Amino acid sequence: MRIFLEKHLNLLDYALSSLWRRKGKNLSVFFVFTLVIFLLASFLFLTRSLLVSAQITLRQTPEITVQHMVAGRQESIPLSYMGKIEDIFGVHQVSPRVWGYKYNEVTGANITVMGLSRSPLLGEEVLAEGRFGAQGEQGWAVIGQGVLADLDLGSRRSFSFFRPDLTLKPFSVRGIFAPQSNILTYDLVITGIDDGRDLFGLDPQLATDLLVEVVNPLEIATIARKISQVLPDTRVITRPQILKTYQAVFSWRSGFAAICLISALAAFIIMAWDKASGMAPEERREISILKILGWQTPDVLMVRFWESLALALVAFVSGTILAYIHIGYFQAGLFRSVMMGWSVLRPGFDLVPVVSGTDLFLLFSLSILPYLAATIIPAWRSASVATDSALRG
Amino acid sequence: MLIELTDIVKIYNQGEVNEVRALEGVQLSVAQGTMVCLKGASGSGKSTLLSIIGCIYPPTSGRAVIAGTQLARLPDRFLTIHRRQTIGFIFQHFNILPRLSVLENIILPLMPLGFSPARRRAMAEPLLERYGIHHRRNFPAGEISGGELQRVAIARALINDPPIIIADEPTAHLDTHLSREFLATMRELKGEGKTIIIASHDPLVTEDAGLDRRYGVQDGRVTQDVC
Amino acid sequence: MFVNPWSLALCLLSGITLFLILVACKTAVKVLRHWDPAADSQRQIELESEIWLSSTLVQYGLAFQIISLLLYVLAADHFSGMLSGAMCATGALLANDYGLPLLIVKIAGMFLYGLWIVLHQLDISSEKYPLVRLKYILLLLIAPLLLADTALLILYLQGLNPDVITSCCAVIFGEGDKGAVQNLLGRMGSQTTLGFYYSWLALLFVAGFLAWRRQEIILYLLYGTAMALFFVLALHTLIAQLSSYIYAMPFHNCPFCMLKREYGYIGFFIYLPLFATAFCGVMPMLIHLCRARGILAPTVARLQKKLVAVSLFALALYAVLSSYPYLLYLFRGGEG
Ligand SMILES: Nc1ncnc2c1ncn2[C@@H]1O[C@H](COP(=O)(O)OP(=O)(O)OP(=O)(O)O)[C@@H](O)[C@H]1O
Ligand SMILES: [Mg+2]
Repeated sequence: MRIFLEKHLNLLDYALSSLWRRKGKNLSVFFVFTLVIFLLASFLFLTRSLLVSAQITLRQTPEITVQHMVAGRQESIPLSYMGKIEDIFGVHQVSPRVWGYKYNEVTGANITVMGLSRSPLLGEEVLAEGRFGAQGEQGWAVIGQGVLADLDLGSRRSFSFFRPDLTLKPFSVRGIFAPQSNILTYDLVITGIDDGRDLFGLDPQLATDLLVEVVNPLEIATIARKISQVLPDTRVITRPQILKTYQAVFSWRSGFAAICLISALAAFIIMAWDKASGMAPEERREISILKILGWQTPDVLMVRFWESLALALVAFVSGTILAYIHIGYFQAGLFRSVMMGWSVLRPGFDLVPVVSGTDLFLLFSLSILPYLAATIIPAWRSASVATDSALRG
Repeated sequence: MLIELTDIVKIYNQGEVNEVRALEGVQLSVAQGTMVCLKGASGSGKSTLLSIIGCIYPPTSGRAVIAGTQLARLPDRFLTIHRRQTIGFIFQHFNILPRLSVLENIILPLMPLGFSPARRRAMAEPLLERYGIHHRRNFPAGEISGGELQRVAIARALINDPPIIIADEPTAHLDTHLSREFLATMRELKGEGKTIIIASHDPLVTEDAGLDRRYGVQDGRVTQDVC
Repeated sequence: MFVNPWSLALCLLSGITLFLILVACKTAVKVLRHWDPAADSQRQIELESEIWLSSTLVQYGLAFQIISLLLYVLAADHFSGMLSGAMCATGALLANDYGLPLLIVKIAGMFLYGLWIVLHQLDISSEKYPLVRLKYILLLLIAPLLLADTALLILYLQGLNPDVITSCCAVIFGEGDKGAVQNLLGRMGSQTTLGFYYSWLALLFVAGFLAWRRQEIILYLLYGTAMALFFVLALHTLIAQLSSYIYAMPFHNCPFCMLKREYGYIGFFIYLPLFATAFCGVMPMLIHLCRARGILAPTVARLQKKLVAVSLFALALYAVLSSYPYLLYLFRGGEG
């Protein structure tokens, strides 16, 4: 066992020095490989970071949302529906919500305004500063980073929106969302439910939708089904469902991007194969000498394996670090548009890179393994140089 | 006998258009602790014969017993195992890897054997001292003089302490002075009980006083003892 | 669901492994047709050197298979986040009819590659290469398994349909999501089955120890067979009973969640010894056949003894690590 270990350490030692001796030849492979890994890693990290932002924020969203559907379109829901939902066993609490859009003609931005009946539905930890309005408080608002910029508030802490009858509804800012939750709060304004009704001119007996909290999260699906049975004219959306949708959409996006990158990978593999196949006469001589001196074919193969692995690992680490910097400091400048150009998401939020072990493992399988596989056959070709060729000439 | 060859035939590329019959029924026996020279024209089959004695490839047919092991049709893997225990090689061009250091070159045969770095150094140290290349041990082998290169080659051949030393035209690229020095070293090794086989057509070698036997090689056959 | 980095990685690995093994099979065919140890021809020299190619390829194949097994389980866990009704990897594997067979094929593949590598090591330990035909026939048998692996993977991924909330549909929640956790096996939490399991384990230790001491074929046979049955039994017990002690949740019986960080990756420390003990335990019985080739007998005997020793060690490790959460539970005064 010790001999086995020592032997492999020796071969590793030889491989590293041999890699270093031929750094000129390996440099191009290294750079291209680093680039490929950088691109792949950027995509995986970006997806993960989008997903984590979404999860953090969705954790604050209601477990079940009930909307009123009329003729296939969503309409305001009567508060009388609340009683029927509260009667279902396992429902903890039902609260109404009012929301709609405000279009800013000046900047062209679309702002979502949401009136909630119970303020701490979103925990205070998603706020960068301030707090939510208290029960019964009038005219408060908590705004997202995008709204702050869009309304050009600066250090002012009040603004107004037009009601449907073109009178002005004033708000005073009590809190601002943290950039981490930008993915969902960027263009969001949260206010009290009465202020919401006031702004959108909604009847006091109506709300946009109803939010349902359940006692046991495992029963979300069951309760959702019961609600839709009791109130056939509603659409019921559950939180797990939203999360799964996000995940599927993100995953599809990054998969699509990965397909493009796989072609880059394929090109690289061909290049690596080609590089590994081309053997300089000096290299042939070296292997032939080693074999005469008592090296077995598998020993030479092992050296080649260590060489490839060392090169791949260094490229892997460099590519990964570059990708981390790309996402963290440059906000995924290269791919932002590809990954974020769909309606569920809004532009303009800070990306926080998230590195997970499984993503690194995935990246490893997508990059290092194909590279290693591509070097086997060329390595074997070089290792099976005839032993006596050093004797001749 | 340390080396016993009977009816050795070696055919390269058997059954193909470029078939070459390099050896045709060679008989040869070499006793331990002797120094033997093979003399012959270019293409006569000296190197082929040395390769068979040196366990580089097996003969096509015939019996070859080298240091107690019968080589006939042994797979490459086992030839290699036997080779690294019994044979030390010194080549015409020395076949030193120019970009490795002197020390690294000398310990090359030890690398796949699982010796620790400290052990390898300990094995190389006496040889470096003995052949006066200790001060050069960390130099790239490509940057040392021809004489030193030759001594590096000898040190490398001896690192495994093999009973048999094989030298294929060792003096072809050496001046007279270095050739003499080389032959002196060989005689010294013979005195230590090594068996030495040299292929050469350099008169300096073939007329050397230390030789016990001299064989002629011609068209793949060994002509008896010229001595 | 192919457009997804995990699916792509799985397909890529599968494709690469297939390619590697097919190249190795090419050597196998050549060896079976032309192998002639007596010849000193160019072809024989090439074949001898191709042996190293094929063995390297199979070793890579084994490594890739292990990695792809792990990747598959992690991918299933990832997919479960997109499939309604799937709470964890088990749910994703059960999402269609191909998930579970694929898992079994992958595990079987691992054992076969392992067997091949053992045969190869035995073969090259003798100057005559006495197993050369046997091992290349085995290699040709591995190929269909690998084809099945690839085919099942494609079928499985094709059958996965993530639900996406679309704005037009009325009621959306997964039909499968009934609030309960899906399990591979029903829970049969009786003391008797656990008792049976532990008696079997004890028997295995005795058989293994005897096999190690006496080195008789009948004992290897006993140990190997008992081990093969134990492997199945152990997986069953692990899933149906021991796992819920690991998770400290009576109705969570997933064999995969224990591989995750939430449970300290304990799964790796359970499965690794289990696979090792099973492999090393069954091997002595199988390679006993090679003893018939006289020259190999001493090598095989030595290897058998070593394998049984490793197997016993891994078995002990497995027994401790897998029972540890259960014992902890008992000591804390829970009712068994
Ligand atoms: N690997 C090989 N494949 C085919 N033919 C070979 C091979 N090696 C040597 N030969 C042929 O075998 C014959 C003997 O060659 P060998 O190298 O043994 O001669 P030599 O006596 O060493 O010649 P020199 O003095 O030029 O080194 C030559 O005709 C040579 O062309
Ligand atoms: Mg010659």
